[in-house]
Amino acid sequence: MPDLLVSARGVVHAYGDRRAVSHVDLDVAVGERVAIAGPNGAGKSTLLRMVATLLRPRAGSLTVLGEEVPKGARRARMGIGYLAHDPLAYLDLSPRQNLQLYADLYGVPDAAGRIDDLLDRVDLTARAEDPVRVLSRGMSQRLALARMLLHRPQLLLLDEPHASLDASGTALLDAELGAARADGRGAVIVTHEVERIAQVADRLVVMRAGRVVADEPVAGRGPAEIRARYEQAIA
Amino acid sequence: MPSSTTEKTRSGRVPGARAALIWGVIATVLVTVATVGVFLVAPEDADQGVIQRIFYFHVAIALVSLVAFAVACVAGILYLRTRSARWDDVGDAAIRLGMLFSVLVVITGSIWAKASWGTWWVWTDPRLVTYLIVVLIYAAYFVLRSSVDDDRRMRYAAIYAIAGFASVPLSFYSVRVANSFVHPVVFTRGGAAMPGSMLFWFVVSVAAMLALFIALLEVELIGRRTERALRRVALALENA
Amino acid sequence: MSTATNHPRWTRQLGGLVRKDLRLELRTKETVVAMVLFAVITLTIMQFGFGTRDDDLTRFTGGLMWVTLAFTAVLGVGRSYVAEREQRVLDGLLVSPIPRVVLLAAKAIAIVIYMTIVEVVVIPLVGIFFVKGAYWDSIGWIALVALLANVCIALSGTLFSGLALFTRARDLILPVLFLPALVPVVIAGAGATHAVVAGANDMADYRGYCLFLVGYAILFLLVCVATYDAVFDD
Repeated sequence: MPDLLVSARGVVHAYGDRRAVSHVDLDVAVGERVAIAGPNGAGKSTLLRMVATLLRPRAGSLTVLGEEVPKGARRARMGIGYLAHDPLAYLDLSPRQNLQLYADLYGVPDAAGRIDDLLDRVDLTARAEDPVRVLSRGMSQRLALARMLLHRPQLLLLDEPHASLDASGTALLDAELGAARADGRGAVIVTHEVERIAQVADRLVVMRAGRVVADEPVAGRGPAEIRARYEQAIA
Repeated sequence: MPSSTTEKTRSGRVPGARAALIWGVIATVLVTVATVGVFLVAPEDADQGVIQRIFYFHVAIALVSLVAFAVACVAGILYLRTRSARWDDVGDAAIRLGMLFSVLVVITGSIWAKASWGTWWVWTDPRLVTYLIVVLIYAAYFVLRSSVDDDRRMRYAAIYAIAGFASVPLSFYSVRVANSFVHPVVFTRGGAAMPGSMLFWFVVSVAAMLALFIALLEVELIGRRTERALRRVALALENA
Repeated sequence: MSTATNHPRWTRQLGGLVRKDLRLELRTKETVVAMVLFAVITLTIMQFGFGTRDDDLTRFTGGLMWVTLAFTAVLGVGRSYVAEREQRVLDGLLVSPIPRVVLLAAKAIAIVIYMTIVEVVVIPLVGIFFVKGAYWDSIGWIALVALLANVCIALSGTLFSGLALFTRARDLILPVLFLPALVPVVIAGAGATHAVVAGANDMADYRGYCLFLVGYAILFLLVCVATYDAVFDD
């Protein structure tokens, strides 16, 4: 197993002529949690989607979970867990039915048991048979959390997770991120909430206008110090 | 971005100009020869008349438009493999020309129908009908291209160039099969029974149309390459 | 290590996707009901378009049926990705390890099922509305052509609906892309139907058209397999 879960060198992505990500280098080591922060339009989500293999780099090289993207993207996807703004669930199906679909897509063994277990952990067992349409935003995002963890991914990719998770969802996610370190998993967290970074990340990467302007460890630093460093980087 | 045209641009020459010039000359010569030959020299068909001779060009243009769409299909495959914009240039230019030629097939076919049967349109001529369908297939290409955003445009154009080209033989064959069941008599257009001199001028007109296609393609490509080079410069200035 | 190291079997993935589409359809019933209704209305309009001047439309049976089915197919295919689009679930499918071709296959299977349901209504209805003469003996042959045509429709339809997915004005773009490709299917379908209706027992014709449809399906299968990855490959 390689030491680096993610290795990006000079990756570029553009929408037509407009550069969204410009020559970015990024490494994520086993057991490491990296936060990516930056102003709107900095290219953070685009970079995350590239690591998630949803977007193909226009230039540069990107290796995820030991697989070169896009060639080995399908193998890499086995170990990627992705949490975005949308819960990525079918509104007319129930949480259980949604998880059944994803269990089939990822080939999860003992799907029924695992689904029950996760529904319990995200506290959705009571509403497991209701269509997602009638659930609250917080509940559907907890479902998204369950979906992400269903196949025991090694790399967690989170796009502004704290923005849409309710209190219990946040607690669960933070616990998961805390455990990731010990399990040898890794995470990349795109976030606006710079203060939170201290609790969940080992390293901070700051992006501005598609480029990385800061990349340093933040373990042990307080929220105020991190905020100051962030402001300095985007100035 | 790699470019095969930088050396030429450095010296101030327009990329591809020489090729376009050469083919332009060849095309002009061949088209002149073909026109003179077809309308003046080729043996006249007893009861058909001068307008009938448009048939030579009708078939030649039809063949070359197929070549154009085949080129676009191959360019599409190569684009998907390499993701190099050069192949999109070739494919798009080839389809534009193929469209132009296909419309000409329908027009010349209609003229020929009027001369042969007295009406401007017949549903019984497989070639005419098939090319109508071909025009519709590739008209959709332009609609698709303009409806998709920049980042997907070249990719989807390439995919459609491939799918559209698959539709062409299917359309041909189904129209032909349907026609043969309704009208079992095969219209003799001189297939193998064409006398030698007719065949010669037929081949000349095909060569002429082919040369014309290549010349026009080269000219189109010059325009696109220049545009692309300009855009690169603009982007470089912007991102600096 | 926490990752499952085995690739999931594609049969399981395909089954999961088809089950999902059928479950969605059973719950909402949006697509199939609309398709059947549309087909019946179209047949009725056809009658008013052609039948007011002509008492016997038997010889148009093939055409009436297949024009109706073609337009119904466009409607059904246009609904292919509606759930993924409106509910923004597509990323969930794309980030999972399914080969894109499996996604194609799942959508194609759904189309075949929907079109078959429509034909179960349309084929008898055409006989009742328009045919004066022998019809019910040939229903088996007509059903066979319909099945072959459904596969053709599903393959080319799913490809074009994938392309139309990210276009502006996608409801208008899909017919423009799809209908020209459907022309050969209409020709073959109508021709084959015509060959077995009202006493014309032209089995040679019928076979020719059926073989053509098989060729169409194979060709479009090749095109789909070669290009479907690129549709979603942003």
